[in-house]
Amino acid sequence: MQKAKFPAIAATFVLCYAFWILLDFSFKVEELIAGAVVSLPVALFSARFFIHENAGWFLHPGRFFSAIFFWCGTFMVELVKANVDMAKRCFGGCKNINPGIVKIPVDLRSDYGQAALANAITMTPGTITLDIAEDKDGKTWYYIHWIDVATAEPEAAGEAIKGRLERGLRRVWE
Amino acid sequence: MSDFVIFAIFFAALAVLNLIRVALGPTPADRQVAGDNADILITVALVLFSLYSGRAIYLDIALISAMLGIIDTMLVGRYLDRGRWHYDADSDHR
Amino acid sequence: MLIRIIADLLIAIGLVFALAGTKGTLKMPDTYSRMQASTCISTMGILCAGLGALVYAVFTMHSASAAIKIGVIVLMVFVTNPVGSHAIIKGAYRAGFRPEKRMEVDEFRRDFDE
Repeated sequence: MQKAKFPAIAATFVLCYAFWILLDFSFKVEELIAGAVVSLPVALFSARFFIHENAGWFLHPGRFFSAIFFWCGTFMVELVKANVDMAKRCFGGCKNINPGIVKIPVDLRSDYGQAALANAITMTPGTITLDIAEDKDGKTWYYIHWIDVATAEPEAAGEAIKGRLERGLRRVWE
Repeated sequence: MSDFVIFAIFFAALAVLNLIRVALGPTPADRQVAGDNADILITVALVLFSLYSGRAIYLDIALISAMLGIIDTMLVGRYLDRGRWHYDADSDHR
Repeated sequence: MLIRIIADLLIAIGLVFALAGTKGTLKMPDTYSRMQASTCISTMGILCAGLGALVYAVFTMHSASAAIKIGVIVLMVFVTNPVGSHAIIKGAYRAGFRPEKRMEVDEFRRDFDE
């Protein structure tokens, strides 16, 4: 476990302090000082578990706005489509399903990018990421439980499950 | 104003319906997922009831409930996983 | 009045999706399909209901603290829910809960189980 750097401590402190203000929501001087006194030791203790990389990495404007565009645009469209599909299946008697676990290749290299893609796949109803594995060539594979298996071919299944999500996320994490 | 409390009652009724799956689910994973659903639905009901009654304390309770809902899910998932997080292809996995 | 109608409509849409998730949780045939159905509640149900409550809190109550707290609640469920879903489906598979009917394809068992 490496020692926590100053930007990580500062970021954790800002997060704890914002949460204190959120729960308290009174802007008297004593309460603000008490929040600072409480959240400084918390930040000193827990910054090394909380942030492992450069803390200001996300403040780059290109990455920031690509991420906003992805989570509010592309992802929302996919989410609504998958939700309507799942609701149709549920109200239609829960009979037209053929579940299975398929394996798809992933091209993103960064750890955070892979985690974000796995979470985005899990949040669209109909697909849940079961495991992430790396084979001997260093290629990453996701195992995905899919409620309506259209194809078991890895490339075609990957295009059907994560095509747009991965193209949107590649702008943020590449 | 009173339509919020009607919606809140509907959400709470859905949470009670989820408890049926908690009672008769065959596996622990079923029970945990249904319990998590009930937790989220009760959170929504608390938000709506706070808007109806105009008191902020229900919003605080809903916030803490939404935050703590993750912990028991992680706990049961880790228990079912027998305490191992990483999949090592060389070790003997069941 | 228009604000009230918009808020009620959004909450009603959320209620429909929550009903779909509950019906799926009660009626689906095996464990993993139940988990899939329950994702409907924790994404679209809480998103639409929270958006309706947010519209009401901003435009009718004019309360900044209520609006921020509702936004943080929706964000918190959105951030934490896939992590728990991933943990519990992996735990269920590793603990040996299999559906009674054979799955269509099962690459995970083919690669890791035997």
